[in-house]
Amino acid sequence: MAKIGVFVCHCGENIAAKVDCTKLTAAMESHPGVSIATEYKYFCSDPGQESIKKAIVEQGLTGVIVAACSPRMHEATFRKACAAAGLNPYLCEIANIREQCSWVHSDGDEATEKAIEITRSLVEKVKRNNELQPILVPVTKRALVIGGGIAGIQAALDIANAGGEVVLVEREASLGGHMAQLSETFPTLDCSQCIMTPRMVEAAQHPNIRLLTYAEVEKVEGFIGNFHVRVKMKARYVDMYACTGCGDCIQKCPQKKISAEFDCGLANRPAIYTPFAQAVPNKPVIDRQHCTYFKNGKCKVCQKVCQTNAINFDMEDEYLDLEIGAIVVATGFQIQNTSLYGEYGYGRYPDVVTGLQFERLASASGPTGGRIARPSDGKEPETVVFIQCAGSRDPSKGVSYCSKICCMYTAKHAMLYAHKNHHGTSRVFYMDIRAAGKGYDEFTRRAIEEDGAGYIRGRVSKLWEENGKLMVRGVDTLLGRPVEVPADMVVLATAMVPQPDAKEFAKTLGIGCDEYGFFNEAHMKLRPVETATAGIFLAGACQSPKDIPDSVAQASAAASKVLALFSREKLEREPIIAMNNEATCSGCWGCVLACPYNAIEKKDITDRAGNLIRRVASVNPGLCQGCGTCVTFCRSNSIDLAGFTEKQIFAEVMGL
Amino acid sequence: MSIQEHYRSRAKELLSAGTVKMVIGYGAGSTPDRRRPVFITSPDEADRLVLDTTCRTNLSGYLLREGLLSDQKQVAVFLTVDGIRSLNVLAAESQLDTSQVLVFGFGIEGDQARAIEGERAADFKSVIAAAKEQRKSQPADELQEKLEAMTPKERFSFWEGEFSRCIKCYACRQACPMCWCRRCVVDNNQPQWVNTSSHTLGNLEWNLLRAFHLAGRCVECGNCSRACPADIPLHLLNRRMADEVQASFDHYPGMDEAQEPVLASFRKDDPETFIL
Ligand code: SF4
Ligand code: SF4
Ligand code: SF4
Ligand code: SF4
Repeated sequence: MAKIGVFVCHCGENIAAKVDCTKLTAAMESHPGVSIATEYKYFCSDPGQESIKKAIVEQGLTGVIVAACSPRMHEATFRKACAAAGLNPYLCEIANIREQCSWVHSDGDEATEKAIEITRSLVEKVKRNNELQPILVPVTKRALVIGGGIAGIQAALDIANAGGEVVLVEREASLGGHMAQLSETFPTLDCSQCIMTPRMVEAAQHPNIRLLTYAEVEKVEGFIGNFHVRVKMKARYVDMYACTGCGDCIQKCPQKKISAEFDCGLANRPAIYTPFAQAVPNKPVIDRQHCTYFKNGKCKVCQKVCQTNAINFDMEDEYLDLEIGAIVVATGFQIQNTSLYGEYGYGRYPDVVTGLQFERLASASGPTGGRIARPSDGKEPETVVFIQCAGSRDPSKGVSYCSKICCMYTAKHAMLYAHKNHHGTSRVFYMDIRAAGKGYDEFTRRAIEEDGAGYIRGRVSKLWEENGKLMVRGVDTLLGRPVEVPADMVVLATAMVPQPDAKEFAKTLGIGCDEYGFFNEAHMKLRPVETATAGIFLAGACQSPKDIPDSVAQASAAASKVLALFSREKLEREPIIAMNNEATCSGCWGCVLACPYNAIEKKDITDRAGNLIRRVASVNPGLCQGCGTCVTFCRSNSIDLAGFTEKQIFAEVMGL
Repeated sequence: MSIQEHYRSRAKELLSAGTVKMVIGYGAGSTPDRRRPVFITSPDEADRLVLDTTCRTNLSGYLLREGLLSDQKQVAVFLTVDGIRSLNVLAAESQLDTSQVLVFGFGIEGDQARAIEGERAADFKSVIAAAKEQRKSQPADELQEKLEAMTPKERFSFWEGEFSRCIKCYACRQACPMCWCRRCVVDNNQPQWVNTSSHTLGNLEWNLLRAFHLAGRCVECGNCSRACPADIPLHLLNRRMADEVQASFDHYPGMDEAQEPVLASFRKDDPETFIL
């Protein structure tokens, strides 16, 4: 016999102002199967929950309905209260008489009538509810970190140092990301390479970290604690184990004029190369596209000079299948294609460079050995103009957001320039200076006050060449007049944008991204490192423009989330999953196609001798997310969803 | 040699050689213009096979008889283009394996039955593609035009009138090769979504549910309407559904056995006009 308790909540005035709760309670009291119906001002309060618990124990209730707000608000609260009183939590249901009733109706009588119907239908449902038990799934304690820049390295090290296993995947031939390209870093002006390379080495040598460079994540399936990941190991044509990193092959490669990505095109590299001198791992790869052998079928010079026979032209891409418990996405950023800004002359004038190119010029390991020189003739520029917000904060052409780091690095550039070219002049066109970070404002002030950077507030409208000078015309909005600066070199503080394939990759991962392609966090304020997909976390500039300290902080935060997950042996999952009636299933596989989570498998039914009789669909409880898509697809109604079975839904409908 | 003779001798040949274990075809019926399905298993019986313009039934459904194909042996069957399409749909829905089916293809043009070239379902690809194109320009029949011209209310009362004659014999379901569920949802009594008695509401539920279950799958063979003892023009409902599916998704059921069911496949360029 059903003994249902109905608890009608006033939600202060939220419900009671429209719905006649006393009338609703009375109607429920007389409904068949209902043992007790009461009303109260706030059932979610402590005394409210206590009264529900008391009723469960005293009346021996077999089901509970709380007529209140949306189940999203307090279903968990009330289910917990029921469990505390010894009632299986899945025998508790919420009748939503607030969002779907009191809030959307103006007529009190009608609202009351509707509240009665809603509650009654749920009473009919709960009579047919079953006790459900949470599903326990094991956690694979191995993290995948995607991206080997500073954020990825930090997350990997934090997880590995706490004893977790990590697979670190980097698509370039070396760890390092953009940070490895930088010269000195703000606000302390320590050399980027000096603080970065030890971390790269630490990550590469850590016993808990498996480093996969020149590799890409191809496929991600499964769910929190139990992801199945396929990684493509791109063919390097160099045997990692045999190669000693001597570099003879690099020396002898006849292709020497390939624009070097790491140096932003300011220097050249051969077809067999390591991205930079301190690369980790320090083993070269062959750039198939430019290699003479791959192009003409002749050459193999590198193979001839290699003492250890490490070069293998027959190598092919390989695939690795990994079992992973949690994923940290740290895929970083790119800089915006500067050709968008024709008026700034990028691409037309060799001495108009991007901020990243300037970093390479200023870097001791860069193409000029740290001498700031013009790409066109190698002369030291006497006047350098910096243009901030080149692409950022420009909804009409670039991107609407602020790239966050450019104010700081432009100040740094002006400073480095002053330190290296003592007689030089620098002019910075800016919109406003955004230097909100520890020591940041002090830093920009130092650039202005001590290193003589001349800041001009205004945008640049045009740039052209005249008598060997780059003429920069802008407006000084503080003086309210146009200005023209003849420059020897112009540096654009280019917008920071997501990786070009970020949107595609978001799909591979099953996470969301914003209109630009930055990955979305689960909640901007309260869950900034989680994604909406459980078990996938974010770190660094793949989420939004970030500087190094922010990237590192977020990476450590992501690592702590991963470690929290790894601290458990088993994960509890909601038992709301699909079940198939194998007796009636016709094996059409419609549900297999329809299931968005690949949770349905084909199962053979055999007789005792092992002969195949039929094939049916079978739901994998670990993968099923309880979305119900298969239920709606199956024509023979063979699939049912626990907690929302056909019987329950039918009763609910008939209760209306 | 007439087409009937041609297939009779082919049946004899295949049965004698043991290539097929059975030929499913048409035989003489109770009246001169009626045909009934025959299941020939020995070469001497092949002379019972008839093929003429009165052979209308889509025989592909008989292939689904429990156990018929489970021994991996081959069966030959007389099929029109529609029938071959239903074979493809059944294969796509994993109900049979086309490599076990030898097709005796034929078409009816005017007052003659003609053979169509091919042996396996896959051999008829171009014939099916042509049928797809032809369907696009095929004029609606008189009754369908009348229905299209009606207001929704008139149309509803038309169907209500038609369905009121339904006696829930489920002959339409039995005749349709696509109705292969091991347990039909209307036979489910826990809960009983569809009323079993034949009153107006229950009939409406049944007939609409049947039409929806055939959306994107019906090959328009007409078995359902021919089977209905109450003369309900059931195929018109399916035809309307097929029009929609063809117009919205360019989906023509039964193109080949790899075709994904339209309702379980998702493409980025699917029209989503129904989403506000
Ligand atoms: S859709 Fe239904 S009948 Fe088809 S395989 Fe799935 S459960 Fe079985
Ligand atoms: S409810 Fe069905 S469709 Fe949804 S995840 Fe589970 S098995 Fe897949
Ligand atoms: S619904 Fe009718 S016309 Fe369509 S496939 Fe079935 S029997 Fe043939
Ligand atoms: S064959 Fe006709 S009468 Fe029989 S169930 Fe179908 S529609 Fe109704």
